[in-house]
Amino acid sequence: MTDILKPRDHKDVETAVQAARAGARSLEIIGRGTKRTLGRPAQYDLTLDMSALAGVTLYEPQELVLTAMAGTPRADIEALVAANKQELAFEPMDYGALLGWPESRGTVGGMLAANLSGPRRIKAGAARDHFLGVTAVSGHAETFKSGGRVVKNVTGYDLCKLLAGSWGTLAAMTEVTIKVMPRAETEGTALIVGLDDAAAVKAMATAMGSPLDVSAAAHLPPVVTARASTALPARSAVTALRIEGVEPSVVHRMRSLRAMLKPYGVMAALGNKDSRALWRAVRDVEPFAARGPAGERHVWRISTAPTEGAALSRHIARHADAEIFLDWAGGLVWVALAPDALAGAALVRRAIVTSGGHAALVRAPAAARAAIAGVLSQDTALAELSLRVKESFDPAGILGPGRMWAGM
Amino acid sequence: MNDAHVRPVERAIRALTRAFGNRVVTAPAVRAQHANTTTWLPNEPPDAVVYAQSTADVQAIVRICAAERVPVIAFGAGTSLEGHVNAPRGGICIDLKDLNRVLAVHAEDLDCVVEPGVTRKALNEYLRDQGVFFPIDPGADASIGGMTATRASGTNAVRYGTMKDNVLALKAVLANGEIIKTAQRARKSAAGYDLTRLFVGSEGTLGVITEITLRLAGIPEAIAAGTCAFPTVGAACDAAIMTIQSGIPVARIELLDALQVRASNAYSKLSLPEQPMLFLEFHGSSAGVAEQSAQFAEIAREFGGGAFEWAVAAEDRSRLWQARHDAYWAALGLRPGAKSLATDVCVPISRLAECVTATQRDVAECRLVAPIVGHVGDGNFHLSLLIDMNDSDEIARADGLLERLVKRAIAMEGTCTGEHGVGQGKMKYLAAEHGAPALAAMEAIKRALDPQGIMNPGKIVPQDG
Repeated sequence: MTDILKPRDHKDVETAVQAARAGARSLEIIGRGTKRTLGRPAQYDLTLDMSALAGVTLYEPQELVLTAMAGTPRADIEALVAANKQELAFEPMDYGALLGWPESRGTVGGMLAANLSGPRRIKAGAARDHFLGVTAVSGHAETFKSGGRVVKNVTGYDLCKLLAGSWGTLAAMTEVTIKVMPRAETEGTALIVGLDDAAAVKAMATAMGSPLDVSAAAHLPPVVTARASTALPARSAVTALRIEGVEPSVVHRMRSLRAMLKPYGVMAALGNKDSRALWRAVRDVEPFAARGPAGERHVWRISTAPTEGAALSRHIARHADAEIFLDWAGGLVWVALAPDALAGAALVRRAIVTSGGHAALVRAPAAARAAIAGVLSQDTALAELSLRVKESFDPAGILGPGRMWAGM
Repeated sequence: MNDAHVRPVERAIRALTRAFGNRVVTAPAVRAQHANTTTWLPNEPPDAVVYAQSTADVQAIVRICAAERVPVIAFGAGTSLEGHVNAPRGGICIDLKDLNRVLAVHAEDLDCVVEPGVTRKALNEYLRDQGVFFPIDPGADASIGGMTATRASGTNAVRYGTMKDNVLALKAVLANGEIIKTAQRARKSAAGYDLTRLFVGSEGTLGVITEITLRLAGIPEAIAAGTCAFPTVGAACDAAIMTIQSGIPVARIELLDALQVRASNAYSKLSLPEQPMLFLEFHGSSAGVAEQSAQFAEIAREFGGGAFEWAVAAEDRSRLWQARHDAYWAALGLRPGAKSLATDVCVPISRLAECVTATQRDVAECRLVAPIVGHVGDGNFHLSLLIDMNDSDEIARADGLLERLVKRAIAMEGTCTGEHGVGQGKMKYLAAEHGAPALAAMEAIKRALDPQGIMNPGKIVPQDG
């Protein structure tokens, strides 16, 4: 039986880690536990539930920064900044639909620990790139602060960047400072209908290399189009490109974009409302939602160089019953495979060996996730280096052991 | 001769000479030149300089140094400002200028792979016909390796970010001679810690970077640049803040105080009014650029700014930005014979005007000459203190001013350096800025990756022995 600890402040967290350290007990750090079923399943002696460390401690809209306790619900933060016409520019995805949770339940700490991002990643980066400062408790049970409130800082190793995406294996974050950005006044999406993957990747590369500031580029094959948005032409492949900004600029740039992409085929467009809905669906991988037609499938998230996206999808689709769509101009490949974990893992591995890239199994039963552990192991020199980083933060190995890699 | 009586560094130099012949240089002038950067810190030369030509060379050099526990200092273009390439404990300097190949350009994926000795200007020259460019532009024509190691930025940071946002992957030789590649060309590394970003800004203290994958940007269809004069530094800063807050995607927004304008007028043959000045540039489609500049003009008017003076022709535009990049040399021209102590701090943008104004007052009270330029979109500004190095009283006054500047920035929740890095010059401020536990965390990382402490010792984190 796992004991649950629910700290109320920095000091409680320090005490909890101290106790875990003294008793050599392993510690799982959670916000509201919405991403527990992602990645490697593992067993822990204690759960450190950070959800009581909640509340925005500083928000200066003028300064474009926000500081919050790590357990603050993400939804609260998003609502607060939206009221000031601002947003989290990295467009963090919500795993709710994909994993079958209610939506909007995650915390800001979880968002950073998982380094979430969304379709705008190709322009604005991921959570990590907007993570300015942190207070955290390391595996030494010591509270440290790193970074601060300014966007440029070159004073030593960038510890925020290490903690982002570390899944609670280096330190327990208690308070975080993130950058917020003005939200675009409006947006539109240009659509090209009927392209195959290869042509779509070419069109998206053209758009991304253009001076039109395209902020998202995705390609949806016929099987997923209708699931993403009813505003899209049904039963056709759709390549979608988003433009954001002030109204007149969006109008101009949409016109230029459509002119530029005309040679690729039939064009259509979505206005502000439909555009927002479409990108939210793409962001949250709604076509593969747990309660949708692909709900039983195992879902893989593969990142590669954008121009490899089409070849990688083709490779997988040729050898398996797969539903696939592309985000990040082809650099992010979402794959829903008929459930046969080991066969799927072998196939995915072959595909990334050929195309280059990284893969993560994001939805599958625990047994399947455990079974594929090690199939996608990283190169040994990097693993060794990562282990040394891990040990420098957590020499006793009490924070989330086994969460990211077996035996670590 | 019995090897046991020879100093370790001598043994290392012998081994290196056996391996690399005349690519190992011990001439005093060359050694001094490899420690001599644009800084006022005293020159501390390495014992020898080795010219590497490949990652394998770097690996062999590091292995020889590791076996003798001799310091290894990586050297790119030597344009750092805080003594990053000084060798306070002697050792071997690895000159990387011959690792200067562009290994691949993937224009469609907007990335490229380069060796560390490629300079930013050489890279852009190489990319010129491919519809893409590399936007990070520190003042000097720095090497990409050095820019990666110091997490450099430049005037384009508002729109394009800094090196931390534009390095996708890198190859490095670690202290034990092992070679690692941190990521594939994919935009995101799925599993594992962000080792790429750990090396970006590590100032050569964790390993020697031998290959860098960079993100590139598409060349804008239209570029509009120009200048706008303001009655006060505060008004210029306020206009800049409002521009950023309004979400206008300005590419460059640079402050020059009246003194720097005078210096740049003289050095770069400009004829700007000697007033606080913003230099701006907008990138995008023709319509987008026209709209952005119109929006800015409106904001400038609101804060008492003058008319936006366009630099339309490409050569006028380059002259303007070359003048901005030459600010360091222009400042030196204000006081021939003086040394420049170029320093930078970064504060939350809402405190920028206050910090700049207080600093100007401090400079005047200390009877010093120090023009100011700033990347105001980021709250980052530079001060060039022009010091007569024969005047000990003046040096003391400069020291005091520098310390107060850093304290002022930290008190405003800013940082002691937003661009130049720690090197030797700013180590003493790290504890004040980060606190002991964060410094301890950095030291732990340093010990874990470089247990012998041979990688660029005496920079960023204090080490024993």
